Amino acid sequence: MKKAPKVNEVNEFLEIASDFENPLEVIRESLSNAYDAGASNVEIRIRSRQGGSDIIIEDDGCGMNERDLESFFDLGNSRKTDAIGYKGHGTKIFYKSDRIEVTTVNDGTSYRAVMEDPWEKLNNKELPEYDLTSNDVRRGNSGTKIQVTNFRSGHGFDAEELTYNKIHHYLKWKTIAGSTAHYFGDGQREMDITVTLDEDIDDSRESLETTNRLEFPDEQLEPSDGEYPAERMCKHYPAREIEVEYDGGETLLQMVGMVGGKETRNELPTYGRHSAQFGIWFAKDHIKVERLNEAISHDNEYIHFLFVANCQDIELSANRETIRNKASPVYKAIREEVEYYLSKVTQDPWFKDYLETRKEGEHRRRSAKQESSLKDRRERVETDGFAPENQAEVLLGLERASRQANTRSFTVEDFDPAADVHAIVRQNGKLRNAAVHRTLTELFEEEVPLENTELAICWDKGDPAELSEYERNGYFGGDVSLDLDQGGLRYQNHDDQFIEIVEVKSLLETGAVPLAND
Amino acid sequence: MAQTHSTQSLDFDIDSITGDARAGQLIINDQTLETPNLFPVLNFYAGGTQRSVYGGGVHRTIKEFMIGADRVGTDPLSEYFDAAMTSVSSLTDYNLTRERYEDYLETPIKERELFEPFSGLVFADSGGFKFLNSDEMDGSDFEMEMNQETVFDIQQSLGSDIIVNLDHPIAPDDGHEERVEKARQTADNIHEFLSLSRDFEGALYLTVHGYNYSMIDEFLDVLTDEVPEGVIREGFDGIALGSLVPKKDNRGALITAVSDCREVMADWGISDWPLHVLGISSRAIPLLAALGADTFDSSTHLHNAINGKYNYSMMESVPIDDVDFSRCDCPVCQSDELVDRMKGNAEYQKDILGPVAMHNLIIQKRELAEIRRCIHEEDTNALVDYFEDRFSRDKTMRRYAHQVVNESLGGYF
Repeated sequence: MKKAPKVNEVNEFLEIASDFENPLEVIRESLSNAYDAGASNVEIRIRSRQGGSDIIIEDDGCGMNERDLESFFDLGNSRKTDAIGYKGHGTKIFYKSDRIEVTTVNDGTSYRAVMEDPWEKLNNKELPEYDLTSNDVRRGNSGTKIQVTNFRSGHGFDAEELTYNKIHHYLKWKTIAGSTAHYFGDGQREMDITVTLDEDIDDSRESLETTNRLEFPDEQLEPSDGEYPAERMCKHYPAREIEVEYDGGETLLQMVGMVGGKETRNELPTYGRHSAQFGIWFAKDHIKVERLNEAISHDNEYIHFLFVANCQDIELSANRETIRNKASPVYKAIREEVEYYLSKVTQDPWFKDYLETRKEGEHRRRSAKQESSLKDRRERVETDGFAPENQAEVLLGLERASRQANTRSFTVEDFDPAADVHAIVRQNGKLRNAAVHRTLTELFEEEVPLENTELAICWDKGDPAELSEYERNGYFGGDVSLDLDQGGLRYQNHDDQFIEIVEVKSLLETGAVPLAND
Repeated sequence: MAQTHSTQSLDFDIDSITGDARAGQLIINDQTLETPNLFPVLNFYAGGTQRSVYGGGVHRTIKEFMIGADRVGTDPLSEYFDAAMTSVSSLTDYNLTRERYEDYLETPIKERELFEPFSGLVFADSGGFKFLNSDEMDGSDFEMEMNQETVFDIQQSLGSDIIVNLDHPIAPDDGHEERVEKARQTADNIHEFLSLSRDFEGALYLTVHGYNYSMIDEFLDVLTDEVPEGVIREGFDGIALGSLVPKKDNRGALITAVSDCREVMADWGISDWPLHVLGISSRAIPLLAALGADTFDSSTHLHNAINGKYNYSMMESVPIDDVDFSRCDCPVCQSDELVDRMKGNAEYQKDILGPVAMHNLIIQKRELAEIRRCIHEEDTNALVDYFEDRFSRDKTMRRYAHQVVNESLGGYF
């Protein structure tokens, strides 16, 4: 007995509609459909509503006939073969709403299809139906209007979050509005796109008007003047069509791109961090899908690049967000080809000059910073005099004090700031082990054994109260007592240890350098 | 675009220039070598007697191919032996007796009946790199001090067409003083070399050492402090760039050394002299040829064979066990008998690996012919396409190929 596997239709619809995670995908699907319908003009209006939005999409394309309308509502039943929306998944995102109304004029007939409460019905395990009516109208004036009521936009599509800027970026990065097909001169039709947001959503402008073309910012091969000379540099890498052979066939890879500094990149409708937008994009139908930033080695930083590698043999996941045939020979072959192409770009002498210019700018800025930091330091020296900030400077102070006193009683013979006992100094001809600190209190803070320390060299003694605490509490089981008359401190653990204190600040002030007292 | 550098002993005709690459003919002692070209390393004398083609294991088998010996069953493969590199120091590899040593040097290579089918150019290296730590040649029953005079005597006795002075190669960690001292020592030998070789019938190449422009330029400065520049210009016919063997796997360093050497040659007014790059072979050759190096010497064909590797192309080698011999139309792989031996059916390793080495050599020589063809097109696209074809899938090599395309062939964009 043969049995046919069953499909749970309701669940499938739910699944597919839910699969579109980013609600902005409504716009992407609408633009693709309009383009497929030969539209030269598309208008999208979005109004904010409690818990969702109303969306109206209108185009002047060839409209839909009854069969097309079926495809619009059916799942996986697209009639298109060589168009963008060939899967029959895209429009199902509209099911996440309270009502879908499609009015379309095609070839002398006007159709109206209305589906009520699709989302609620699907969630109640009921397959929503639509009413279809038709009228004869005069030929011409074809087109389609889709009204989606209370679209369950969810996170990211909330009125407060949706702005013209965000939509503009989305259009250019994720939809056919960002197509680079025109660089290949294959007669890409131009389509004007208007997006109007309700004033409640964004009142910064009347509407957003653009076309279905991503245009790179103007080239500027030479550096600019100023602090950031590479910032507006830009080079276009002209469109190249590369035939790629793979195990099982041949495909066409279309590469086009640009390299540019931050200011150049900002001339594009960017939104948020460049690192999430720039790089090497794989595209299908010239709509960017997924990035291959590994094609650029780490040192070259993919962020400077915007390349689009279009191939019609890329297969997309249902929501068009990822490539699903990555294990296929064709994907592997185009990936290799893209990497190879980019290896030429990253070795391009202009690109190397660009990186060099960035470095030069960085150097210039560093040099300016150096100047201002040196100015501060010099001012500080003039006002405060010599004031060591680290161990090495304390030792410099010690040597200076020795010179001032015109004796050679102290010379630093060895200094290792990473060692427990930092320095070996010669005091009146004799080598002595010295711990070196800015303040005497730091001697105890490092928690190192003191048994081999003969000298504690410090700029000053630090906080006397802190020292008293060490006297009160001891240090690793031993007693600490300051013996300032003798110029040192006693540490009694197993043995009685006397550590001579050399306070460099007072030596410099008094001009006296002590002789070794042992 | 023809350009000729003629001296008493050499004509170097450059017919085609593409980017920095050049192709032409090197004519010495009435023998013509198309350039760029490869001098395969060959030990003509390797401990054996005339009966064993003077011995040498795999070298012996190679020589059998060269002369078409019965043991290999092919006609002489002379076309692949239009040039050979032999080193004075190789004689010490075989623990010779004095008698045999003297026998080897009694008759020039090309005057021996045994080697009659061979008429290629013989380039005899001075062995400077080998005598660096020891200035003696040790036979089984004799010792000989190696100095400029003895080295020259050997080079001359072999009947060489191109020889170099006894030099003192530098090492990557040499300090400045050490390098200058070595240049001075090399300069000391040059006086003697030029006076010894006054009646030598062949070309004299000046060895230069350095990894970049400043080092090579300084080397020549030190040389010309000791030997007048005019004497060097009059005395020598070509340049041999040495000391690169320790950097052989650092393609970036090789590219810098060769392109800088060409720049120094231009600044010293000797850019039309032939440039030989000592000891660098295999995959670096196309890169360096595109930068204007004219000849190379290589033992890669032997080393690959000894390591069990068979070359499908200059870029790709596979273990002998995995080879599909039918892919190759070279005379070695066309012989059932030799293919059978390469598959391991022979008593001695030399008979298994020798044909592999010969095949590998043929692959390299054919590659050089292809490079020459591209240069002769006199359109940079031919060489760029060649690089594209050979290096595009090789991730480690391709950035160097791009570098050369950008530096020498006009770039991609």
